[in-house]
Amino acid sequence: MRTTLLAAAVTISLVLAVVPVAAHHSFSAEFDAAKPFKLTGVVTKIEWQNPHTFFYLDITDDQTKKVTNWAFEMGSPNGLMRNGWTRNTLKVGDVVSVEGSLARDGSPYGNARTVILTSTGKRLFAASSQTENP
Amino acid sequence: MRAAFALTIAIVVAAFWTARAQDRGGGGGRIEPAPRLVDGTPNLGRVPGEKGVWDVPYIQNMGMRIPGRDGKTAAERGATAESGRGGSKAEPDVPFLPWARAIYDYNSRNNSKYDPEGYCLPPGGPRLMATPYPMEIIQQPDHKRVLMIFEGATHIWREIYMDGRPHPHGDELNPTYLGHSVGRWERDALVVDVVGFNENSWLDYYGHPHTDLLHVVERFTRPNKATLHYEALIDDPGAYSRPWTVAWNIPWKADGELTEYICQENNKYLQKLTDDFGQPLFAPR
Repeated sequence: MRTTLLAAAVTISLVLAVVPVAAHHSFSAEFDAAKPFKLTGVVTKIEWQNPHTFFYLDITDDQTKKVTNWAFEMGSPNGLMRNGWTRNTLKVGDVVSVEGSLARDGSPYGNARTVILTSTGKRLFAASSQTENP
Repeated sequence: MRAAFALTIAIVVAAFWTARAQDRGGGGGRIEPAPRLVDGTPNLGRVPGEKGVWDVPYIQNMGMRIPGRDGKTAAERGATAESGRGGSKAEPDVPFLPWARAIYDYNSRNNSKYDPEGYCLPPGGPRLMATPYPMEIIQQPDHKRVLMIFEGATHIWREIYMDGRPHPHGDELNPTYLGHSVGRWERDALVVDVVGFNENSWLDYYGHPHTDLLHVVERFTRPNKATLHYEALIDDPGAYSRPWTVAWNIPWKADGELTEYICQENNKYLQKLTDDFGQPLFAPR
């Protein structure tokens, strides 16, 4: 019983750890531009909201086969729409690849710069707040 | 042979200048003159019947936007924002007072973790023109005012009084995020004098601080239809030993319109609030 509770507590804390802490924030306080990633997974949830839209992917580790739910931050809905998105561009169950910068704290969380829809190969800019305009 | 060489040089130079001119003008290469109102005043906004917004750039570090002796800023000479994250030492042209230097270096070291705009508070001063969401300028000469409406930066507007009124004095001047703006035309430049800032904002994302002594003099010009040139004199004896000037261009996006952007939506504190039945009041739906 105690083991079950402990396992439940660990599971819950792992789930909570996935949820991004900050709403709006300094990009470089949260993400490390020197830690780029490209990851592919299955969409589990989309939060189409200001100031940042989030989506979540189940990503399977190639070696251990362990599945981890990752969170990815994009720009605001209006910024995304200017880059060709709608709120239905991503659907739960879609397979997508994401390129961007990893969170500084090592959690399964990243800032998405580009999202590639596997079914069509379409690349969409994720209205990231990473780069300064020229 | 020599003639052919000279001709080649002439063609290369001509091509270079054409390309430069196109860069400045945008919009497919043809530089259209800045529009004017009926009374001849430069029109800093839309022409009736057309769309268009100012596509405000993301200027992260104003220390890189100080025009040098050649008129160019460090950013125009090719420096990137990242190369500016060296704290005050990397910015000899910013006349920091010691406390402002220390605060700025602290903000640099922690990557702007405590940036007020990062928590959806409004930008103050020149950062209005450095927060990357579109804005519009609406001139109302009949009402002797100019309005600037900003999609981003918490969906705000500012009113610039063009009726010749002075700034309020003493306690009549209530410190605010955007301050008190009075404007006038100097030839083709809209010159806006702003005082009355509170101390809750930073000058930029990198964290240059300011005090409530901040006095900003902005100059808006439209050298052609596709370009708004922005200059701001930052005069804050509470934080800097002398005034310093920053400048950049803001491109016109001819097919642009403002849309809704509400920065405050995903406020984690609000999301913890529950109603009388224990249900979340503001959770995302």
